[in-house]
Amino acid sequence: MKISLIQAVLIGVVYYLGINGTPWLSLVGTHGWMRPLVNGTVVGLILGDPVQGCIIGAAINLPYLAFISAGGTVAMDPALAGTLGTALAMAAKVEPAVAVTLAVPIGLLGTLIWVAHMTVDITFVHMADRAAEEGKIDRINWLHIVPPQLFLLLITVVPVALAAYLGADAVEGIVDALSGRPLDVLSAIGGILPALGIAMNLRAMNGKGTLLFFTFGFMLATYSGLPSVPIAVFAGIIGYVFTELYLKDKNGGLA
Amino acid sequence: MEQTAEIKKEKLLTKKDVVKAFWRWTFFSHANYNYERLQATGVVHAFSPILKKLYGKDEDEMKSALERHMQFFNTEPSFGGPILAMTIAMEEERAQGADINDQTINGLKTGLMGPLAGIGDTLWQGTLIPILLSFTLPFGAKGNIFMGPVLFFALHWIIMTVIAYFLWIQGYEQGKEGIQKMMAGGRLSYIMTFSQTLGAIVIGSLAANFVKIATPLRSCLHELVL
Repeated sequence: MKISLIQAVLIGVVYYLGINGTPWLSLVGTHGWMRPLVNGTVVGLILGDPVQGCIIGAAINLPYLAFISAGGTVAMDPALAGTLGTALAMAAKVEPAVAVTLAVPIGLLGTLIWVAHMTVDITFVHMADRAAEEGKIDRINWLHIVPPQLFLLLITVVPVALAAYLGADAVEGIVDALSGRPLDVLSAIGGILPALGIAMNLRAMNGKGTLLFFTFGFMLATYSGLPSVPIAVFAGIIGYVFTELYLKDKNGGLA
Repeated sequence: MEQTAEIKKEKLLTKKDVVKAFWRWTFFSHANYNYERLQATGVVHAFSPILKKLYGKDEDEMKSALERHMQFFNTEPSFGGPILAMTIAMEEERAQGADINDQTINGLKTGLMGPLAGIGDTLWQGTLIPILLSFTLPFGAKGNIFMGPVLFFALHWIIMTVIAYFLWIQGYEQGKEGIQKMMAGGRLSYIMTFSQTLGAIVIGSLAANFVKIATPLRSCLHELVL
């Protein structure tokens, strides 16, 4: 499949909307949009097949299931993996499991864009400092939105549009060259990658008995084969009972 | 005497001003996110209609207010939002003549931003998002656009925005005492323990369902093939 220049630019805009800090969808909306499940579907829509985009996006989302960004640090970029990964996977017509392995290194590249954005924005803060000394609040408001967003638009749309426009053929060539055993290895790696995101999330949570409850959830899902909604309900009941008992114990027997 | 004091205490801000600041914060909090002061200009931007209303006529007060809020600030914006709503309440009291200095305001802001960010990130990115994904992602993997991406995006946005709005209004109405009471009281550790437990179990089930690894090694245990 060929990606036209207009499609490539639109994919770049989809990526821009998934960066932590774009105001268009609100911060919470951006965090929804940055999940490959969502932006992969939109990329699919741009390329004319939203259903295929949704399937590939869902696959790419797996390593980022429990993705967490805190304190201004981002270890990987699910939005770039989702947008560019889906676009290239659709162009090269690869299986969703292979798409994941293609997308994850792309997601790592996204941290470069993040660092550039977080660094250059310091300039605008210093300009805002000068405006603050003069009491010009409207100038701070302008500096807060217009220059950083223009810069962000530039560093997101241009590289992604170029990569989607020029990269499709290259990726197709690479995938052809890798067909057979290397591609099987790649899809096996793609299957393990979700474990990484899950481990990162567990580290961030770090509550009382987290590992024990994690193991319990794992065993419950493995041996009962229940879908996720009933498991979430069981988890809620167990969470309630545990919290009641744990806090009662901590408060010296008084609930 | 008492009567004049009463009149002086009359609110300078309307609920509309407070809600307007909420929406400015919801959309623009991270527009100029940076390594040096993170959300500092976001705070000024969210407060700007309020600062104009309170200090618009006094240039010196405005300058000092801008300097006060251009300081380093970083929190999780939904659960940390009430810090700013509380700050609005304090700025309002200050404009009414209460003895609240820069250190008090910034001390509270920086003192609360870390703990609330930790709570917010655990509840939001650590618990809510994985749970929502755990039941929308399987639909997405089958190509169901409505039950997959659309439902995930909508549920996530609505749940988080409703929580953030509620906390913001609470933060303004209860002021600094309210937030400190909430942090000290048992309700918070209750919510944290509950959601960490719930989250750990759900994430465990995610690991079971989504980490695909096949091994040629087979161990048989009571007829059950692992």
